[in-house]
Amino acid sequence: MSDDIRDNLHVLEPQPDSSILMPVIETRQLGKQYGPRVGIERVDLSVAEGEIFGFLGPNGAGKSTTIRLLLGFLKPTQGDALVFGHDSWKQSHILKREVGYLPGDVRLYPWLTVRRALSFVGAARGADLMDAGLALAERLSLEPDLIARKMSRGMRQKLAIIMVLAHAPRLIILDEPTSGLDPLVQLSLAQELRDRADKGSTVFFSSHTLNEVEQLCDRVAIVREGRIVADETLDDMRKKARRKVTIRFTDGEAVRGLDPPEFLTLIKREGDRWHAELDGEAGRLMQWLAGQSIRDLTIGPPDLETLFHAHYRTSEGTL
Amino acid sequence: MRGILMKIFREAWLATLLFSIAFLIVEILLNMILPLLLEQMGDMLDRLPFIKDFLGALLGIELEGEITAQIMQAFVWVHPVVLTLLWAHEIIFCTRFPAGEIDRGTIDILLGLPVSRRQVYFAHTIGWLASGLVIFGFGTIGYTLGSIDMPTENRPAFMSIIRVLMNLFCVYIAVGGLAFLCSSMCERRGKAIAIIFGLVLCSFLINFLAQFWPPAEPFAVLSVLNYYQPAIILKSGSLVFGDIAILLAVGVVGWTLGLEITARRSICTT
Repeated sequence: MSDDIRDNLHVLEPQPDSSILMPVIETRQLGKQYGPRVGIERVDLSVAEGEIFGFLGPNGAGKSTTIRLLLGFLKPTQGDALVFGHDSWKQSHILKREVGYLPGDVRLYPWLTVRRALSFVGAARGADLMDAGLALAERLSLEPDLIARKMSRGMRQKLAIIMVLAHAPRLIILDEPTSGLDPLVQLSLAQELRDRADKGSTVFFSSHTLNEVEQLCDRVAIVREGRIVADETLDDMRKKARRKVTIRFTDGEAVRGLDPPEFLTLIKREGDRWHAELDGEAGRLMQWLAGQSIRDLTIGPPDLETLFHAHYRTSEGTL
Repeated sequence: MRGILMKIFREAWLATLLFSIAFLIVEILLNMILPLLLEQMGDMLDRLPFIKDFLGALLGIELEGEITAQIMQAFVWVHPVVLTLLWAHEIIFCTRFPAGEIDRGTIDILLGLPVSRRQVYFAHTIGWLASGLVIFGFGTIGYTLGSIDMPTENRPAFMSIIRVLMNLFCVYIAVGGLAFLCSSMCERRGKAIAIIFGLVLCSFLINFLAQFWPPAEPFAVLSVLNYYQPAIILKSGSLVFGDIAILLAVGVVGWTLGLEITARRSICTT
């Protein structure tokens, strides 16, 4: 019996009940070596259904390698990856029935138009995607009969997004999807992804831009030099992130000898003003300030940028 | 697989049609030239006797005594232009996947679909064989049109022509199988094309040289053309089944290795 037939039989087998609770994506000690070079190593990820998961890292950190391993393009040299409970290397064509994948630096067949793409993808997926795809094209303002070879980069990106989303996949994997898109289309895409997630789809969103991940994702993993260095919800990250604080005391002389509490790092004293950085949430600070005499207080939002940069930094310096 | 076949058809129909028309025209022209060539053959051989060796090398047989019109019919099936057209078409076709798709970066879109690599490989194989049949069909039509005015006594039996075509199609399968193998091992289509083109060129040269340069003789078995003998088929009226078996074995082994390598390799476009 060929592998294909065996794999197809496998998908017909009843899956255990626990699959309902099974994460959509799960990697265990996943690694990929390119000869002597490390692509990724010992990556453990778990992404739940309906989650918008950000995968953040600088260029060359291993984001695309991880995605390619999840889709079965690359064979892991260590560990394994499961998508919908299917081994991503051995059963990649089965799991891709439920996946929409947008590659980074997307290349399209030059003869594609929206209609041709929907016909081609529909035939490959065994479904009529024309109506859903044309509706998406309208939302993204893309002409249905314009040929790919005459499209701008942004238009090609839109066409690729339509090909990825038209079959309403349960898992959407996007590798730096906003490159080439104008800000308005970026907003439309973000809204589209939020709507899909509300309906139960899972989104795996790779990016090197903190801002778009921060605006869209529930949880973020940061990858650096092939390793996961952080994997938390954005709320937890915000709690950890420092905030810029400016306190203006009533009496400048009185605070000259005052020491800041351990959760406040003093950056600069300026007469009756303190410029400082606050670790964690503002509650503790407010409690401490209740015992002081202050005239004014400014607390900035959690500074995720600094936190991410700290993660990006290597022992030798910034990446 | 229907979607993949649609894509292959859309991308390959024009090239296949152009190669088919070229093959048809070449067959018509060669058949038109052949009677003139035959008329002048006697004079030419008297003046330039080595032509006989070259002709024998091209036809893959030793020409003894008088060269008959029927044996000369083999010339239209071994002419370098004919072989170049067939090989060029299949080398272009068989290196489309996986090397071509990786090279142009479209494999991400292709393998993002719920199809296995084996299915894509099978689909390309179907396309290659189907387009091969179209080209051979056009070639046969060209041969038929070109030989309309040929005297009946010079005309080879229809079944002999079919056997020559079967032998040539086995060469087509052997080269195609090797082209799939090269494609499966390369990330760049140009490299895959260069390797397989080098192989068929060497094959042609070894087969040609082996006819009149003894040091090249032991290597003749390595040439796919060593197993393509239209002149012998036209002379005897029967196929050499050993040749057919070897050509098919080369094609099937190359194709199967290519399939397994394609299914098991890591695919990376960056």
